[in-house]
Amino acid sequence: MLIASYLALAAILFVIGLIGVLTKRNAVIVLFSLELMLNAANINFVTFSKMGLVPNLNGQVFALFNVVVAAAEAAVGLAILFAIYRNRETIDAEKLNLLKG
Amino acid sequence: MMFTWAWVYPLFPLIAFVLLIALRDVMKKKLAVIVSLIGIGVSFGFAVYLTWMGIFQQSVIQTTKYQWFSIAGKPLYLDFMLEPLNIVMIFLVSLVSLLVQIYSMGYMKGDARITTFYAYLSLFTSSMLGLVISANLLQIYFFWELVGLCSFLLVGFWYFKPEAKEAAKKAFIITRIGDIGLLIAIFMIFQKVGSFDLRVIQHAVDSGVLTGGALTTVAILIFVGAVGKSGQFPLHTWLPDAMEGPTPVSALIHAATMVAAGVYLVGNLFFLFEGSEVALTTVAYIGGFTALFAATIAVTQNDIKRVLAYSTVSQLGFMMLGMGVGSVYASSFHLLMHGFFKALLFLAAGAVIVALHHEQDIRKMGGLWKQSKWLSIPFLIGCLSISGIPPFSGFFSKDEILYAIQLSGKKDLLAIGLLTTFFTAFYMFRLFYLVFAKKSRGDQKVHSISRSMKVSLAVLAVFSIVGGFFSFPTTSANAETITQITKLQGHAPLWLIGSAVGASLLGILLATFLYVWRQGSADGLAKRLSWLYQVSYRKYWIDELYQMMFVSSLKAVAWFLNGFDRFVVGGIVRFVGWGTMSIGRLGSMMQNGQIQTYVLVSLIAFLILFVSLAFGRLIG
Amino acid sequence: MEITGEFIAFFILSVLAICGAVFMIFFTNVVHMGVSMAFTFLSIAGIYFLLNADFLAVIQIMVYTGAISILMLFGIMMTRHKETEEKLNRPIHYWLSIAGAGVLLVSLVLLSRGATFVSDSVDTKGYGIAKIGELFFGTYMIPFELASILLLVALIGSIIMAKKEGQE
Repeated sequence: MLIASYLALAAILFVIGLIGVLTKRNAVIVLFSLELMLNAANINFVTFSKMGLVPNLNGQVFALFNVVVAAAEAAVGLAILFAIYRNRETIDAEKLNLLKG
Repeated sequence: MMFTWAWVYPLFPLIAFVLLIALRDVMKKKLAVIVSLIGIGVSFGFAVYLTWMGIFQQSVIQTTKYQWFSIAGKPLYLDFMLEPLNIVMIFLVSLVSLLVQIYSMGYMKGDARITTFYAYLSLFTSSMLGLVISANLLQIYFFWELVGLCSFLLVGFWYFKPEAKEAAKKAFIITRIGDIGLLIAIFMIFQKVGSFDLRVIQHAVDSGVLTGGALTTVAILIFVGAVGKSGQFPLHTWLPDAMEGPTPVSALIHAATMVAAGVYLVGNLFFLFEGSEVALTTVAYIGGFTALFAATIAVTQNDIKRVLAYSTVSQLGFMMLGMGVGSVYASSFHLLMHGFFKALLFLAAGAVIVALHHEQDIRKMGGLWKQSKWLSIPFLIGCLSISGIPPFSGFFSKDEILYAIQLSGKKDLLAIGLLTTFFTAFYMFRLFYLVFAKKSRGDQKVHSISRSMKVSLAVLAVFSIVGGFFSFPTTSANAETITQITKLQGHAPLWLIGSAVGASLLGILLATFLYVWRQGSADGLAKRLSWLYQVSYRKYWIDELYQMMFVSSLKAVAWFLNGFDRFVVGGIVRFVGWGTMSIGRLGSMMQNGQIQTYVLVSLIAFLILFVSLAFGRLIG
Repeated sequence: MEITGEFIAFFILSVLAICGAVFMIFFTNVVHMGVSMAFTFLSIAGIYFLLNADFLAVIQIMVYTGAISILMLFGIMMTRHKETEEKLNRPIHYWLSIAGAGVLLVSLVLLSRGATFVSDSVDTKGYGIAKIGELFFGTYMIPFELASILLLVALIGSIIMAKKEGQE
């Protein structure tokens, strides 16, 4: 089984996640797409853990750390979205433009 | 001896000018006039003394020199000289200026800007006096331009009239064409000779440093300058238009200052022309042509001042003709006499205009003879004088020129001269009859003319009558001092005098026939010869020709350049501005506050970086 | 390339994962999106099994397919204001995003195809939970503790932020 297949799968998932982040209007879906991108990165970690130049378990350990961080990010992100929703009655990404100078 | 320090002559009018222009808002009008009169009066007093000395003492030929500045080690001098021609000019200029200023007291009465008017007059006189005593080309050019400036200011004095504004601009621009010729000539002389000093240049010409083609070129370029200033043929169009100025100004320009400058310049630099047969011939033929050409135009003009203006152009052409056949003396003499009677005619015409409530069209005049002797007699004297009827002054000077032409042996020029004499007499008496004879067309009350105007007219009338005798061939030998410049040997033969007077009388007779004995027959004649009449009346379409050739073509070029500037240059400028604005708009479009846009921008930036760094591996 | 069991499994799993992700992009109902995403996460767990990362696969199922999907669905439901997701109003932005993503994909695939990776098969006997535990409590002791602190902070932070303001 070629390593390139796994890397291509990871790349495809990453790009789909990126499209989701860039084009979805619902902020929850944007967060979800972000998780997908993180997962694509995890696939890479695990792939190299088995088939990399120096195969060892460190790749899986890193993927685990990644899961931890992703989980924390999802939790905090959702909390932020709730706070925004409470204040502005919307989580439409197009309408969240308070950064505009 | 103070009277022989040449620089005092322009000094007093200059002081008057400075005082008037500096204090024009605080000075009372009466006081301003008096200050100006004192300035020119003092100069005139000195001039009278100087002329007296010149005639009876023969002791005034001298020069004074002061260092002015130096260019590249060559010192330039403020250089004055008092030679016979200069003395004659000083006398003429100061006399006419003084009389014009006296006259203006009446003519300009009530004008709000009379102080400024007198200031300009003083500056005009001062510059002209400076010009006629200069012995240095650079200095001459300096005063030459000042004279041009003053005529611009005075012709456009009533600047609220659009015609006056146009005329002032026209005078300035057209004389400028000539001035460029003069300037180039001065540069060429300095390049060849290395000095502006007239005596040094004369020496260079005599010793053959400046000779041949270069001399011809220089002489013709100087003549171009004189053509512009003196209203000779191709550049004459400004002079009639300059009639839009106040009448005293016209008198001053035509008799003593502006146009005299051109003739004076040719006379003063005559040694340059002497060396070149081509230049002399050019001067003679241009002059002769102008004399006849302007005289034929004057025959049909209807504006009293325009007739006189074309008459001046014609007479100046006559002077140039005299110069061209080699007689500086005759031309200078005619310049002097012309100064007297043309000033007289203009001032009288001005008085007529005032008397008729600023009416200038001679077709609407008539019958003034009975109403005002103060107008008609001076005018008649002027007419007789310019027509060359003995014993008036014009007779003598005209004869000298005709004699000079006859001596040169150019029969065609002699014919032109006699023909011009005939036309001159005809149009002057046409003017005289239309204005003074016949019945008054309107029954309006004739305005009385003030005493100051009468004084000026009387003095000039006297000079017009007796002026000629100053150089009548039988006068004392002392007169030779003034008139020694290339004095002709011998006297004109009787047949020449006879034919000149005959031509004049014929002209007068024709005018009398057409306008007195058979009133109205002139109109019929004009109808029958309508083609000729139109040519003359339209002034040979010279103005229209210039309009078409120069103004329109320049306008076309200007139009093109304007388009180029507006669309090409301006387009580039606008494009740069538009580009900058677009970049700015693009930048502000990115800053729309939406995180997704920011992410997209980061993505694109990242991709650019990524692809450019890994490009080799991507395609390999 | 021979057809092995691994290949078939990889093929099915990757098709499932990609389909789930693509459906997520194209569904209009927000809840459907969440569900299809859960399928993707599940397929990724399968991929982990194929790569001998059993522990990670289990964690993936528990955390992603279980916890995070549910969390997201809760998020969707609690903040719902519209039943359906609408397209962006900004076509330039939309197409630029697609194009940028496409370029990224092409270059990533090109890079990974061109790269040379030495070992194709490796001894994976030691890849077990015990070995991972050793690593966590040996080499990665400090990062592990830090991760637990991070989770604690995230927990407290989320509670504070999600709490209604003014409820001291």
